[in-house]
Amino acid sequence: MNRSALPINRPLPIDRPLPVRSVGLPGRSSPPRPGSNAVLVARADITPEIARFVIRPDDGPPAFQPGQYLTLGLVVDGAFVQRPYSTSSAPGARDLEFLVRRVPGGAFTPTLWQLAVGGRIRIGPAKGRFTLAPGDERTHLFVATGTGLAPFVSMLRSLSQFPDRPQAVVVHGVAWAPELAYRDHLSQLARDPRIHYLPVVSRPNDPASAGWSGQVGRVTDAIGLLHRAAVFEPAITVAYVCGSPAVIDSTAELLVGLGVPPAAVISERYWTS
Amino acid sequence: MAYVIAEPCIDHMDRACVEVCPVDCIQTDEAADRKLYIDPEACIDCGSCEAACPNAAVFRSDQLPAAWTGYAWVDAAWYADADAARDELDRLLRAA
Repeated sequence: MNRSALPINRPLPIDRPLPVRSVGLPGRSSPPRPGSNAVLVARADITPEIARFVIRPDDGPPAFQPGQYLTLGLVVDGAFVQRPYSTSSAPGARDLEFLVRRVPGGAFTPTLWQLAVGGRIRIGPAKGRFTLAPGDERTHLFVATGTGLAPFVSMLRSLSQFPDRPQAVVVHGVAWAPELAYRDHLSQLARDPRIHYLPVVSRPNDPASAGWSGQVGRVTDAIGLLHRAAVFEPAITVAYVCGSPAVIDSTAELLVGLGVPPAAVISERYWTS
Repeated sequence: MAYVIAEPCIDHMDRACVEVCPVDCIQTDEAADRKLYIDPEACIDCGSCEAACPNAAVFRSDQLPAAWTGYAWVDAAWYADADAARDELDRLLRAA
């Protein structure tokens, strides 16, 4: 999850006064602002708008399953603000990686971008059901756009630890070639014949994509290409899709049309409006 | 803007929303309540609860069915005066 969307200040449909909140009622009042419990130990800027943040919790990495998200929290203009992000780390790793897109004018990411290495941050417990099914032997088709790749990096890192891991196909779509985060890492993983990695760039003619000679188009174009090449067999494929609702809808429609059972298309919504 | 839990939650309280809420803004008092409540001051509008709810009880506040708009007040009020929220919930159910 990379839900850095600003809550839109539409009023609640409330036409009568609310009772005034008391402070200190257990479980009822607004929670006190939590303190920091982790430190930013590294940061890599992939583009001016996308960066990889590496965070070390004070008490060791929290338990999580690949694909889950954790909230990162910072004080922004005097208020504690938190946003959930899927980690790209594998369970048990000392540090947790997060792939984040900066949202200009957003409530959280501009402050995160100002956090220097060594800066303190709050990290919350892992949540979410976008996770792998244990022992699933079907081909795993991972389809991501943008920073939606993060949970799949975690899943692949986790799967790679198992000798009987299933075949995995990774489709990562971005607008510009430099946004292909983890490209080297995934290319290296794809030396394993059971892992197929296909990055795809939708704006190959933009100067920012100069030098790109790989697949062009959208993730749906790439999936069609892979299907025609028999890289995956729809009837025995489970598809995990992570991206904007529009990408999820178009991808799910395509996959079901190709013969992937509807129940085998699992999605996680990302958006950065 | 926040999400609101409406009538289909009553007496079900599946809690799937609690499991997925990244900011832990959904609470209830199991000894006294018949539904779960979203804190509109803490909700970050991610929609995870809506997607997770097996009873289709969660709505964006601006997409609440007309018959259930009163649940926006109930959810918000619960975090300030739970008894007042429960009274209003009872009134809504009697009126339904």
